[in-house]
Amino acid sequence: MNTTTINIIIQIIHYLFFTYAFLAIFSYIFLSLISASETIDYFKKNSFVNYKKILSSNIAPSISIIAPAYNENLNIVDNVRSLLSNHYANYDVIIVNDGSKDNSLELLIKAYDLVKTNYLINPQLKTQPLRKGVFKSTNPAFEKLIVVDKENGGKADALNMGLNISNSKYVACIDVDCLLLEDALQKMVKPFLEATKKKVVATGGVIRIANNSIIKDGKLMKINLPKKLIERAQILEYLRSFLLGRMAWSRLNGLLVISGAFGMFDKKIAIDIGGYDTSTVGEDMEIIVRMRRQLEEQNVNYKVAYIPDPLCWTEAPDNYKIFISQRNRWTRGTIEVLRKHRKIAFNYKYRNLGLLSYPYWLIFERFAPVIEVIGIIYFGILIALREVKWDYALAFFILAYLFTFLLSLGAIYSEELTYHQYKKKKTGFKLILISLLEPFILHPFILYAAVRGNLDYFFNKKKKWGKMTRKGMGNINK
Amino acid sequence: METFKILQNYFQQLPIELKLVWVLSAVLTVLAIIFTVYLKFLRNTLREKDVLSVKYQHKYESELLSYLFEESDEGELSNSQNEFIKTIQSKCDNKFKRKIIVETLLKLKNEVSGEIEIAIQNLYLKSNLKEHAYQQLKSKNWCIVANGIKELAQFKVKEAYPEVKKLIKYPKKEVRKEVELYLVSLFHFEGLDFLNNLKINLSEWDQIELLEELKNFDNQEIPDITLWLNSKNDSVVSFSLKLAKIYNKYETVETLLELLNHKNQKIRIQVIDVLTHLQVLDAKEILKNNFKKSSEEEQIAIFKMLENIYEPNDEAFIVENSTHKNFEIQYLALKILKSINEKTFNKLASESNYYNNNVVLKFVQNN
Amino acid sequence: MKETKNIVLAEDNTTLSQLLKFRLQKEGYTTFVAQDGKQALELIELQKPNLILTDIMMPFISGLEVISHVRNKLQLQTPIIVFSAAGQEEMVLKAFNLGATDFMAKPFSPNELIIRIKRILT
Repeated sequence: MNTTTINIIIQIIHYLFFTYAFLAIFSYIFLSLISASETIDYFKKNSFVNYKKILSSNIAPSISIIAPAYNENLNIVDNVRSLLSNHYANYDVIIVNDGSKDNSLELLIKAYDLVKTNYLINPQLKTQPLRKGVFKSTNPAFEKLIVVDKENGGKADALNMGLNISNSKYVACIDVDCLLLEDALQKMVKPFLEATKKKVVATGGVIRIANNSIIKDGKLMKINLPKKLIERAQILEYLRSFLLGRMAWSRLNGLLVISGAFGMFDKKIAIDIGGYDTSTVGEDMEIIVRMRRQLEEQNVNYKVAYIPDPLCWTEAPDNYKIFISQRNRWTRGTIEVLRKHRKIAFNYKYRNLGLLSYPYWLIFERFAPVIEVIGIIYFGILIALREVKWDYALAFFILAYLFTFLLSLGAIYSEELTYHQYKKKKTGFKLILISLLEPFILHPFILYAAVRGNLDYFFNKKKKWGKMTRKGMGNINK
Repeated sequence: METFKILQNYFQQLPIELKLVWVLSAVLTVLAIIFTVYLKFLRNTLREKDVLSVKYQHKYESELLSYLFEESDEGELSNSQNEFIKTIQSKCDNKFKRKIIVETLLKLKNEVSGEIEIAIQNLYLKSNLKEHAYQQLKSKNWCIVANGIKELAQFKVKEAYPEVKKLIKYPKKEVRKEVELYLVSLFHFEGLDFLNNLKINLSEWDQIELLEELKNFDNQEIPDITLWLNSKNDSVVSFSLKLAKIYNKYETVETLLELLNHKNQKIRIQVIDVLTHLQVLDAKEILKNNFKKSSEEEQIAIFKMLENIYEPNDEAFIVENSTHKNFEIQYLALKILKSINEKTFNKLASESNYYNNNVVLKFVQNN
Repeated sequence: MKETKNIVLAEDNTTLSQLLKFRLQKEGYTTFVAQDGKQALELIELQKPNLILTDIMMPFISGLEVISHVRNKLQLQTPIIVFSAAGQEEMVLKAFNLGATDFMAKPFSPNELIIRIKRILT
């Protein structure tokens, strides 16, 4: 191989990287603009909706909140109380105690006067069997509560048990430590009820980070910016991803994932497609992809919607170890789901799903970290070979950094102009600061976690959910 | 100056694409600085607005309460009450204050009835707040129009009817919906006339809002809904079925029985539900005859009906379907059978091989 | 000397609660207002009121839980009047089962509330 061929190869590689980066940037701009338009649209349409009417209506459809719990004894009683105080007339709360090794069940029995009941479970979905059984309260004030104690089977398995037990038309699948705002249910069910031409099959909600916010007695009292940089960086990331990303996909009807922390489904459809897949760690994405795939195959005119209102507040990892573990899991989940459903890739039979969503997710979400890391390694090789054209490198890095910063600014503006949740004085400055720092303090760890995720997926089959050590959200008095 | 010259020289000798990149970076930097600085102003404005909003809320809240609690002679308003009305009129032009005033009025009005509600209503009318709502109706922005209609509906401004009626064919559906709600809020069932010719679909959400609005009235004069039950618009049929159920319209039974043959399955299931609620025994024969050709969803609905209005003569049908493959139907069948005729139930349980270790059977036996 | 009667009101709509507080004051009652169920229970334990007014839908601890707590845990026979948005018959039945004394559907007439309160407190 002579030097010209090498040079040509190097040029081609450069052009490939360049094209990839260019397409990625273009797609971010495109999605941001659509997201902004969709969020403003949503705002306008809902600024004068009277949600109070629906909340007390008996005609409003039934909803079951399904919350799997594993070793959550620290806060389970308060979390359940918070779920029970939702302002909706026709709903119940199904807590699935997934083989917890702690005393979660005993705490619940004591706090809510629970007794074991005979409950006929329709085994539509296969799950791990019951352990201690199904419990309901003797106190009419807690009539909405059902607690199911079963053998451990994982989150997906617990959710499937919840689906079997529920008698409602819609199910809201949430993480048990998610704080739901009082009007969350009616806001989430609205897309289902408003649809006239398309059938809405699932809605997703925005997840907000509650770290350092004051939650007293299960109610969100004050919203504060978290103290640690890693937590703040995640807020920025969530804002970008939700307000500048998912809203656009909702408009394009191309959503591939609804956060497992908070999503609402048409129960019958969820069961008809087979419920959650227990063999994947990305069960929240997998069920949406499978649902969409089957609906496309049946030629149903459907939609997966997204609500930008901040309805669900949860705790995000506050140290790098847990953060990396979480992102590792997300990576493996994405790979698992994309591989499982690779048949739909670029397949015109699946329309938007196969021609737009899947390819985008594959190229710009699943492979992005990998390509970036390869780029970094390649750059390292160039440095070692002293082949780096520093002029180019400098110019492009600075451009990329500026672009990222502006994108983050865009997310901050989206948030300020719509929900303006962070009202304290210095927060604007802190958000700007974190936007400047984020590419250095969060992004590298995301890349690292993604690489680990890829390696673990292909070479280490023993990993599963990992531990999210609960710090507890309640009673932080500041 | 030297550094500047060095940079300038450097820039000049760059290839074109890099020049472009640097120019782009410069543009982005300028934008970044502008937006960063503007963010502070934006947040300050929003914060001040919030503070003002709370301040005004408290102010108007206490002034409203003082107004309502004035000891006054019959029909005559005191001086301070008139003052308050004048204050409102003067603040009206300020959109921000006006919004808060109206919100405060509604916050209370929606919770109370009787004298106090009427007092608030009169306050609204006397202080000419409604004029601004009329202005909103003429806006080019559909959002503002919808808000105006909504306000007029909430304050029951009947004289706005001609103006609001004109908007019934407005291109945006949110506005049309507000018109419908206005008509129903003020004219109750007569306001539903628009259903006669409705071509577009009424969503479930719209239907719920309309029904909740109708609930606010003591319903003496519920009109004949047969016309709507026979509408070509399925959403209108669905809505009138809800009316039939809520207001117990027994006189529509004939039409309902005919609707059991409607081409839309959802409607058929809804009809079965209404007939169950109205306890129409005649429906059972028709449904039992159609059972085999019905979809599983309809079959479940039929059994739910039997669960509620079973009679001894349904026994044969139940037994025939007690081994249905659908879990829910099996459960309902066994449950009903046990209630109709425990002897047959026990015989079935012990004799049929089908029920060995059947979870459903065990549950029904024990409960 | 006439003893002032104490009332605890649990209602999160501030305009409404202020209105009721004034109105009740006119009739000679002292009202303590709570913004949610938990605050209501604290006030009840502290003030030992002669009457409790509570909305059913409140943050965190619902009106039903308040009734249940007062009747079962605190073992008090204090009369309890419940408000609820119209159309929640099931809630109302539950409230009575738990021991509520009376119920008023929202929107309600404050004057009528006063009449009922007077009837209960004499």
